[in-house]
Amino acid sequence: MSEIIHYRALRKTVHGRLLLDIESLEIHDHACVALSGRNGAGKSTLLRIVAGLETPDSVTAIFNGKTMSWRRACQQMRTHVIYLHQQPYLFDCSVTDNIAYGLRRQGLTIKEISGKVSKALEWAGISHLQMRNARELSGGERQRVAFARARILSPRVLLLDEPTTNMDGEGREQAYRMIKRLKDDGVSIVLATHEYSSVAHLCDTHLSLESGRLMTQSIETVNGERKIIPYG
Amino acid sequence: MDSLSAATAESFHLLFSGDAALWVIIFTSFSVSVRAILFAVPFAFVVAFLMAHLRYPGRRAMIAAFSAMQSIPAVVVGLTVYLVFSRSGPLGDLKLLFTHSSMIIGQILLSFPLLVALSHATFQAADRRVWETSVTLGAKPYRAFLTLMHEVRFGLIAALVAGFGRIIAEVGCSMMVGGNILGYTRNIPTAIALETTKGEFAQAIALGIVLLAMALLLNGLLVFFQGRGVMSS
Repeated sequence: MSEIIHYRALRKTVHGRLLLDIESLEIHDHACVALSGRNGAGKSTLLRIVAGLETPDSVTAIFNGKTMSWRRACQQMRTHVIYLHQQPYLFDCSVTDNIAYGLRRQGLTIKEISGKVSKALEWAGISHLQMRNARELSGGERQRVAFARARILSPRVLLLDEPTTNMDGEGREQAYRMIKRLKDDGVSIVLATHEYSSVAHLCDTHLSLESGRLMTQSIETVNGERKIIPYG
Repeated sequence: MDSLSAATAESFHLLFSGDAALWVIIFTSFSVSVRAILFAVPFAFVVAFLMAHLRYPGRRAMIAAFSAMQSIPAVVVGLTVYLVFSRSGPLGDLKLLFTHSSMIIGQILLSFPLLVALSHATFQAADRRVWETSVTLGAKPYRAFLTLMHEVRFGLIAALVAGFGRIIAEVGCSMMVGGNILGYTRNIPTAIALETTKGEFAQAIALGIVLLAMALLLNGLLVFFQGRGVMSS
């Protein structure tokens, strides 16, 4: 697995408290990483820094083998890295327009966009919702739209911030199935979660945030099932 | 009482018979105020957005200043514009006093703080995920800004309606910098003020009806858009 992005000496202070003090964070091609930690440990902040939505105090970024500033890395990674909020935001327009949003920024023709959107709707199983206003959808449907909207841009890395929070069992299973399909499509995934065991079957590596530091933990097969072994 | 009834009847006659002098006044009013609001709105929205989304020294003072400037009386704005454009003023050579341009400038100054304050409140209350989602999907900042404006459009339209309501009915500034010249700078509020002092109530009542209808329409729109904004948030 080749390295997509590598951060070194990543520091972030929030309200005078050192929230993140990470020596090294690597994201590889076709990898699925579970990122865990207590509430307030900095999982979301870390994902948002990787996505370019929050500024670190200091960091060195290595993208495609070249060392550069975080800001430069963010510019280079635009559209390669997509961040999905805990509760994805859908724009106040149709499902089709939501999914086409990113494509419209890429200068494609209407025909090309239309073809790609149709495939994305089919992929997410939401073709029947295409003309509905995205605001009228249920939580599970919204998430499927958000996944389709991200996938259509063919990102190299997808950052998922606790995607199954506030979901019932069926909704969670549906979300995991979509994450698995994204992984199978070759998208690298970083998944912030509290539920170690439920994402073990998806993930290759487990990173745990403890007091601002990142610990790598093992994923082991226990009684025929893959389980993440919590740190400590 | 009879004369008031007669004046009211005459006012309806003026309105619906297409009285040229009356409709020129109405046209002047709308022409000046619409141009003023169209000039003010883009700048006001950008300033409001920057105040809501950037953190810089003096930001709070700026918010407080715009909030305070909402209550500056129209005559004070009129006086300022008059002094600036009067023959001995710093911009007297432009000869803009008693023209539509000076009236537009006065109305821009009047509406700008209100537009900024109301749209700032709208941007401040906007879900930050709108901007972040746009950016993470590859939108450049100006495109993300347009997306954000679309998402909070009801609040912004409400700000625009309130701003227009402020200038379409103001009399002090237009009177001072426009000069109330018949067929040129005379607008609805200045004409009402003049006709009333002359005892010519028919035209004043007719223009009052137009202004009242406009006020009701604007307030109706304001309630509608504010309601839509609440429902969609």
